Amino acid sequence: MTITSERLPVLVRAARRRAPLRVLLDRQSVFSWLMMALPLAFLAAFVGYPFFYGILLSLQDRPIGHSGTFVGLKNFVTDLHDAIFWQVAINTFVYTGVATLLKMVGGLGLALAMNQHFRMKNLVRALLLLPFIVPTVLSTVAWLWMLDPAFSVVNRLLVALGWPKPGPSWLGDPMLAMASIIIINTWRGLPFYGITLLAGLQTVPPELYDAAAIDGAGGWQRFRFITLPLLRPIILIVTLFSVIFTFADFQLVYVLTHGGPQNATHLFATYAFDIAMGAGQLGLGASVALAMLPTLALLIVALTIYMRRD
Amino acid sequence: MTEPAAGHPTSRRGFLKLGAAGTAAALSRPLPVGAAGKTITILHESSFIKPFDEYVVNTLGPAYEKETGIKINYEVTSVGSLPTRISTIAETGSGADITENGLLQVTQFGDKYLDVSDIAEDIGKAQGGWYDAGREAALVEGKWKAIPFSNIGQLMNWRTDWFAEVGVKKFPETWEELYEVGKKLKAKDHPFGFELGHGFGDNHGWLYPLLWSYGGAEVAPDGKIVVIDSDETARAVDFSRKFFKDTMLDDVLGWTDVSNNKAWMAEQISCTNNAESILWFAKREFPEIGKVTGQAMNPAGPKGRFHLLDSISHSIFSFSPVREEARLFMRWLMEPKQLGGWYAIAESYYQPLLHGYDNAPMWSVEPRNLPYRDALANAHLPGWPAPANRQLAESVAKYVVVDMFAKACAGASTKEVIKNAEAQLKGIYRAA
Repeated sequence: MTITSERLPVLVRAARRRAPLRVLLDRQSVFSWLMMALPLAFLAAFVGYPFFYGILLSLQDRPIGHSGTFVGLKNFVTDLHDAIFWQVAINTFVYTGVATLLKMVGGLGLALAMNQHFRMKNLVRALLLLPFIVPTVLSTVAWLWMLDPAFSVVNRLLVALGWPKPGPSWLGDPMLAMASIIIINTWRGLPFYGITLLAGLQTVPPELYDAAAIDGAGGWQRFRFITLPLLRPIILIVTLFSVIFTFADFQLVYVLTHGGPQNATHLFATYAFDIAMGAGQLGLGASVALAMLPTLALLIVALTIYMRRD
Repeated sequence: MTEPAAGHPTSRRGFLKLGAAGTAAALSRPLPVGAAGKTITILHESSFIKPFDEYVVNTLGPAYEKETGIKINYEVTSVGSLPTRISTIAETGSGADITENGLLQVTQFGDKYLDVSDIAEDIGKAQGGWYDAGREAALVEGKWKAIPFSNIGQLMNWRTDWFAEVGVKKFPETWEELYEVGKKLKAKDHPFGFELGHGFGDNHGWLYPLLWSYGGAEVAPDGKIVVIDSDETARAVDFSRKFFKDTMLDDVLGWTDVSNNKAWMAEQISCTNNAESILWFAKREFPEIGKVTGQAMNPAGPKGRFHLLDSISHSIFSFSPVREEARLFMRWLMEPKQLGGWYAIAESYYQPLLHGYDNAPMWSVEPRNLPYRDALANAHLPGWPAPANRQLAESVAKYVVVDMFAKACAGASTKEVIKNAEAQLKGIYRAA
């Protein structure tokens, strides 16, 4: 008796195990995980692994080509005592802050202008994307020539207008060099803002404007009370992306100034690269790069909370 | 990454080649058994002188293969990417078998390289002895971790026609004399242009020699005590400030390595410090400028005349499966017949570090290059007299010396910039 009664559940379990794959796939939870598996594996391999490896590196004294030794937070302490590190931090915040603001205001203006009806609208919209499409290194080299005092279009113009020769030294003066990289970054990032906000503008129902016009709202009021509130989620998303890209910018500075003059344009990414690859100290370099993390993480969390609240 | 050696003896193709080459290879010295049919990969940075790379691919490689049956794979990497490529190979333990080194890589990767002291000493004995600079470039803690190949020196480039306009026919002997000439030339709208920004070669190329010629140094010869805060350094910094202010373009503060070449070809500057490429390029593309481009040794300071050693050398990775074959190849490559031909093809762009070539015909092709040979006598690696090590690499990557001078030129006080540099160096040397 006892023997047979024990056999029964075993059989049932075996039968269950043999349930056809089709049934399994029909279950939503299984199917959705299956679909997610590939992207997740991709993320784990190309985002997760480098990220955690970076953290591991930052906790090591790890000369290039040698095995590392664990040193705890020593690299971060070294960073905190490094005058250039602090200058780099300030540079990065100024660069990101000003460039993002300029891109936001300029991009909004651009989107509003592009939302009007005029001839060859589509062509102009396509052309606007050019700075964003051209590879950064390429367009930066073009800027390098434009800002070179010997050949500079800008300086020739200024000198023609009466500026004393040879005109301002765009990349030789610390303030001007920072201004230059901000302007170039803005030039490059503006289309991204413009086109995304334009897409947002086009989703605003025209009836709202009609209704507002009937109520006697002027142009500014329509912008202030209809356009802006409806665009806000998109502005937030674009800003989030833009801040992340700008904060971690590398190519522009690397090509244009290599962090000079006197570290005035060094950003976290370029400084981390110099330390990791130039000085051959992967651990210390990783710690500089990771110094970006808390700020970016805070920003992302803050923006996410803000958007959820709405 | 390199292809895995196609001619590995266990592969069918490799085996066939081994059989074919077996009779042809009348070996002048014993190769390891089964060496023929293997491939040795050499990593090299793309040369500014095109025939230089072609000489290996078309002449040296085939000649060696004919002699030994070993194939030479010459892998060229783009300018500036060599350190990154070597790191990758050192990190992964696979890739090339022999690599070219720039000036700091020998110490950085020294323990991944074979000790080639026997080869280097034999070459030195056979070919007139090494320059001290050769030893400085390749010795790590008393062992040759590389076989020096050459220097790619930095010299003063000067516009002979404009200097003549202010009555100067021969390049000034001292920094102070050069300064006086520069003042006159700037007044005539022919300023000087010496890089003070974040490039790599042309800033270090004159700033280290300037510091040394006034008797300054970053660190004591023991490689431990920071000695930058000295009266000698202060005098060098004071000189650089007035030199910048009274002779140069403001823009030099933001220059990178290409800037002075551009300014030279645009006839914007009358004097700079650069490698031989500036004359080479001017002769080819702007012959009129080429005619009036002079080259001279760096001026002397109170403590003598110095130059920057920007050496290149060859090392064998210790994990290479064909390291023994690579040793023999390096011996062969450094024989006068091969080496002399390779030097000659690049005229004197690569300056040999062996005294045996002091009077080689390559020097008579362009007599204006002779100062490159003479500059070898007092050429040193950055950071000299301290040994080049990881702390030095960090100081260079952080532009400690360059920015010390640059900040002074931009207006900061001598005391302040030296204190900053000292604090930075102490941080770097303490962290070790």
